[in-house]
Amino acid sequence: MGLEQINTLMEVFTAEDPMPFMHPEGDPWKDFREVMRLEWKMDFTYKHVLGKYSKFFIELANKKFVTTECPGCGKVWGIPRPVCADCLTITKWKELPGTGTLVGYSVSQFVPAFMKVEIPYVLSVVKLDGADTPFTHQLRNYGDSTDNIKVGMPVKVAYTEEKVDHPLLLMYFEPA
Amino acid sequence: MEILDKERRVYVLGGGISKFAAERTDGNMRDWMNEAVIEALEDSGTKIEDIEHSTTSYFSDHFDKQLKAGAIFHDNIGMCPKPNVRVEGGGGTGGLAIRNAYAYIKSGLCDSMIVFGGENMGRQVPSDVAQQFIALASDTDWEVQVAGFYIAYYAMMMTAHMDRYGTKEEQFATISVKNHRNAMYNPKAHYPMDITVEDVMNSKMITYPYKLLDNCLLSDGAACLVFSTEEWAKKNARSWGAKPTIEVTGTGCGTDFMRMADRPFPDPGITHFRGKQFGSQQAYKMAGIKHPREDLDCFEVHDAYSGVELVSYEDLGLCKPGESGKLAEKGVFDLGGDLPTNTSGGLIGFGHPVGATGLGQGVEVLRQLRQEADPKRQVELNSKRGAMDSHGGTGTFCAINIFERRD
Ligand SMILES: [Zn+2]
Repeated sequence: MGLEQINTLMEVFTAEDPMPFMHPEGDPWKDFREVMRLEWKMDFTYKHVLGKYSKFFIELANKKFVTTECPGCGKVWGIPRPVCADCLTITKWKELPGTGTLVGYSVSQFVPAFMKVEIPYVLSVVKLDGADTPFTHQLRNYGDSTDNIKVGMPVKVAYTEEKVDHPLLLMYFEPA
Repeated sequence: MEILDKERRVYVLGGGISKFAAERTDGNMRDWMNEAVIEALEDSGTKIEDIEHSTTSYFSDHFDKQLKAGAIFHDNIGMCPKPNVRVEGGGGTGGLAIRNAYAYIKSGLCDSMIVFGGENMGRQVPSDVAQQFIALASDTDWEVQVAGFYIAYYAMMMTAHMDRYGTKEEQFATISVKNHRNAMYNPKAHYPMDITVEDVMNSKMITYPYKLLDNCLLSDGAACLVFSTEEWAKKNARSWGAKPTIEVTGTGCGTDFMRMADRPFPDPGITHFRGKQFGSQQAYKMAGIKHPREDLDCFEVHDAYSGVELVSYEDLGLCKPGESGKLAEKGVFDLGGDLPTNTSGGLIGFGHPVGATGLGQGVEVLRQLRQEADPKRQVELNSKRGAMDSHGGTGTFCAINIFERRD
């Protein structure tokens, strides 16, 4: 049967020397230019644990935005972390009002196909009131034009009503 | 941090690069590594059986779907049973690997080391799958899940820079023009092009403020460098004395929080590369560099996106914060300017096979300091020093290395 015996075979072809300028005396790899290409499919499913910041996601489902405050140095991390990275004290949960200011954003006209988002897609960094460091999430409901989006504008946390594939998508930002 | 043994010095004996391209269907990562190694051995006039140690430089286990690939690259070139170590720091991997060679040789763990790096990032997976693989180098619980991906992160950094300093899109477009142009004089480059600022501005908007031509490319390719002490080179390297002597005189490394959002706000906030400021100061101090723009003859700068090169100029101390756009417009960093940057074409023009990129920078600086570059991209030597800057993530790992010619 020959090559047809290979279920995953895509092609067999003769490749060109990609560096002929290096080989004035002739292609040193000339006996190795026949190339085979296969299809190789991999598919995995993980049982992913969200660890010690799981409470953040649980509270999002209750339409509450919580983060962590350090009892050692007082720093409030916008994105919660169980240990304060400044002083290594174990932190405490703290609810924030969910209001804040836009500090940076980008507007994507194209996104990789794995991302289930509408185009244009706005990724934003928001300094939340009551937190010392910002939080990264999508900005939605910015009106009819992305020109409405300005660094410094007030924004707030909004909650998703529909089903989501990841608990972080239970929230997003929108203009306040 | 003091370098204790001032007598023991580390030299770059030679380098090799296997062509960077959109897709190297003629081979796989193993083949490109072999090509780069063979060229580096020829260039350095060394034999693999004499080299004592190797370092592997590649970033992604997803792209090549081969874990501990270093074992294969190492055995392919007959290095077994000698030691090998893998270094990984995203886009900074190659820069960190050079630093690793310096540390291993300086410490006396070995007198010679071959460093090989590459990446299989071309078209074997569709571009959106490639973007997904790269996105995995940001926080998979907190960033990837909000549909974060790299151009969007860098675009946020740039809009913050534009807001703070008034930096203009036309200014970072000049970087793309320069790097694509420099690549025209590098036959191994992936993306040589003669374009204008208008071409960049009119190219397809991907993620504001970045257009298609502001971006670097996913490339296939490999690169290799050989390092040793003077004593070892005198005994084992035919290049010693026959080619200009190039020493590693400075190395620095800095880091920052994985997530931009966690970085001290507002400075560096999401605007600046704090790790690059930190690492470059270390490297300059070691190499005795006070004014990098005057004290260096060339600089390979990590231009993952055109604006990244501008911000890097500021954080590498080549100019003041906010000044980079105006200086780039004036041509300060062009061939023939005060300090030519990315003479190889950089990530934008030469290409970005991640694990090879930092090593490719090293090969370029080596060629420049030896005056072996294509005459159209060869810089004028004054200080006889060249630097390279390589980073991973959004400046999460930063490695800055300095080579100096000793005549
Ligand atoms: Zn603390």
